[in-house]
Amino acid sequence: MTALTGSAAAPPEAPQPVGHARPGTRASWRERLALDGWGGLTLPLIAYLLVVFVVPLAIIFSRSFTDPTLGLDNYRAFFGSPVYLNVLVNTFVTALLVTGVTLLIGYPYAYLMTLASPFWRSVLLVVVLVPFWTSLLVRSFALVLLLGNTGVINQTLLALGVIDEPLALMRNFVGVTIGMVQVLLPFLVLPLYASMRAIDLRLVQAAEGLGARPAYAFWRIFVPLTIPGVAAGLLLVFIQSLGFYITPALLGGPGNIMLGELIVQQVSAVLRWGFAAALAAILLVTTMLLLATVNRFVDLRRHLGVDR
Amino acid sequence: MTTAVVALSMLATACGASPDSSEEAASSSEASELTVVMWGGEDQQVTVDALVMPWAEERGVEIRQDSPSDYAKIRAQVESDRVTWGAVEVEPNFAVTACENGWATPLDFDVIDVSAIDPQFVNDCAVPILEYAFTIAYNTDKYPTGQHPTSWAEFFDTEAFPGKRGFWRYATGAMFEAALLADGVAPDDLYPLDIDRAFAKLDTIKDDIVFYDTGQEQVQLVSSGEVPLIQAWNGRIFEAAQAGQPVANEWNEHLLSYDHVIIPNGYPHTDLAQEWMNWFLNSPEAQADYANASAYAPVNDAAMEFVEPHVGDELPTSAANAAKRAAVMDYSYWAEHYDPVSERMNEWMAG
Repeated sequence: MTALTGSAAAPPEAPQPVGHARPGTRASWRERLALDGWGGLTLPLIAYLLVVFVVPLAIIFSRSFTDPTLGLDNYRAFFGSPVYLNVLVNTFVTALLVTGVTLLIGYPYAYLMTLASPFWRSVLLVVVLVPFWTSLLVRSFALVLLLGNTGVINQTLLALGVIDEPLALMRNFVGVTIGMVQVLLPFLVLPLYASMRAIDLRLVQAAEGLGARPAYAFWRIFVPLTIPGVAAGLLLVFIQSLGFYITPALLGGPGNIMLGELIVQQVSAVLRWGFAAALAAILLVTTMLLLATVNRFVDLRRHLGVDR
Repeated sequence: MTTAVVALSMLATACGASPDSSEEAASSSEASELTVVMWGGEDQQVTVDALVMPWAEERGVEIRQDSPSDYAKIRAQVESDRVTWGAVEVEPNFAVTACENGWATPLDFDVIDVSAIDPQFVNDCAVPILEYAFTIAYNTDKYPTGQHPTSWAEFFDTEAFPGKRGFWRYATGAMFEAALLADGVAPDDLYPLDIDRAFAKLDTIKDDIVFYDTGQEQVQLVSSGEVPLIQAWNGRIFEAAQAGQPVANEWNEHLLSYDHVIIPNGYPHTDLAQEWMNWFLNSPEAQADYANASAYAPVNDAAMEFVEPHVGDELPTSAANAAKRAAVMDYSYWAEHYDPVSERMNEWMAG
């Protein structure tokens, strides 16, 4: 999230609302934080974030340069080994793929929710929310029972004679993707549904009234209006994917290690905290760089409603 | 995200982010209480019931529990000088590392009488709490007893015994020992391990290996038949067999292992923890109760006479099973080589 509000974003062209400092002009910290009147109430929140987020983050960063020895050894160890770089690449590839599949499934699902009758809408909502409230570990284990060679899916297909050999549905990339998409789908569907509900469907009707075919009206009118929801959902899913470790650990194979797993291993099994800190720093910085790059092409601030 | 938060909070604790709790620890030191930390789950319950509570009730000590054992938390508590964990069950290689780094308290063997315990299981900072074995566990539907692999060489023979093989995903899971025994290394020459040779042997079955993380996974994999052959912890397999699952232990060439108990350095009730250690090491009947409930072996041989016969047959310390032992895990080797071998294992798994 830091990337969105921090230095990564280009200076907005629109005039700033009163109370914000314009880029380039000197403003007191009160003005910068909009601390006029009720704004002072945010001070405890800022202090809280400082203590539980900024300070620990600073400690992690400093630890990556000082533990066990002062210098860049931890980073050298990371970039010196093709294995770790592969893990980093695998982490981002997995996160991108999962985000893509989540969108493919989540968009039609959220759209269906806006069209459905109130009864079916609540059914669809419950179907999304119940897994959302269930422990991640439980869901991942449940998927193990579904996807294994002796799991429900393979046994059913074998019994029906559809396949002769069990399908390799887990301990590989397929299993990781199925698991992570299942876990992350609510994070896309819920913001997307919220933004779709806010769209005035008369706009689409108007387009159709002016002669657009339904598909064209949908594509030109409805879809662009859902982009803020899509952007919010995709970001939530993508950033969470990057830090996943339980699901890939349970459903993935030895070749699908993600950076999160590596960090956990370094923190709790090998106790190389400096190296773990370096891994965390690398994950954070690469994520921020990626978001900054995306931001050059897509105005994330606008789509996320930061500048309105 | 989640990972980062976990790491953050651990590192923050390590750096003493909350100074107030150390006072708490100091003020409660007058009370008679001991915190024991084990791997959790049913096994922890069984251990506490058999090996902790009888002593605590007799002695009037209040027992607190936490789980699971977490090496990062031990290190964080010691380095931030606010130790709340008293007696912690750990793997022996970590006990050695913790002792060397000053994370574990050197024990006072005037207080703790270890004369009944095999000295190879005792070190400066740790005493053993249980013994167990890495066995060849097999699915009895896939390989009926008598037609199952009875040696690590057969375990590695995927032509004679087709099917997936399971190993624990950590370097200390005896996978390397098994590979070397399978490749013909004599048990006496096992340590120091020839890691190159072990990897070469593992390469031959790499595509058939499935790694498990937890004991539940281990039992689930072998009893469902998904991984019909698995290098397992004897107690888990025995429990599953008792519960009617189609699994069994092959005892031939098993590797004997054990768990240690350490006291994190700076624990305010170290005296009590040592007193408890002395009690359970020298209470054969309590250890037998534990063995009967868990199918893991007592560390005091005198306990064997109190163990029920059908359980005794499934313990690594029974005379019949002990005769089939290949080797005892050498954790001083692992204390020294755990990190580089783990790293190489990651590399190998990802490659």
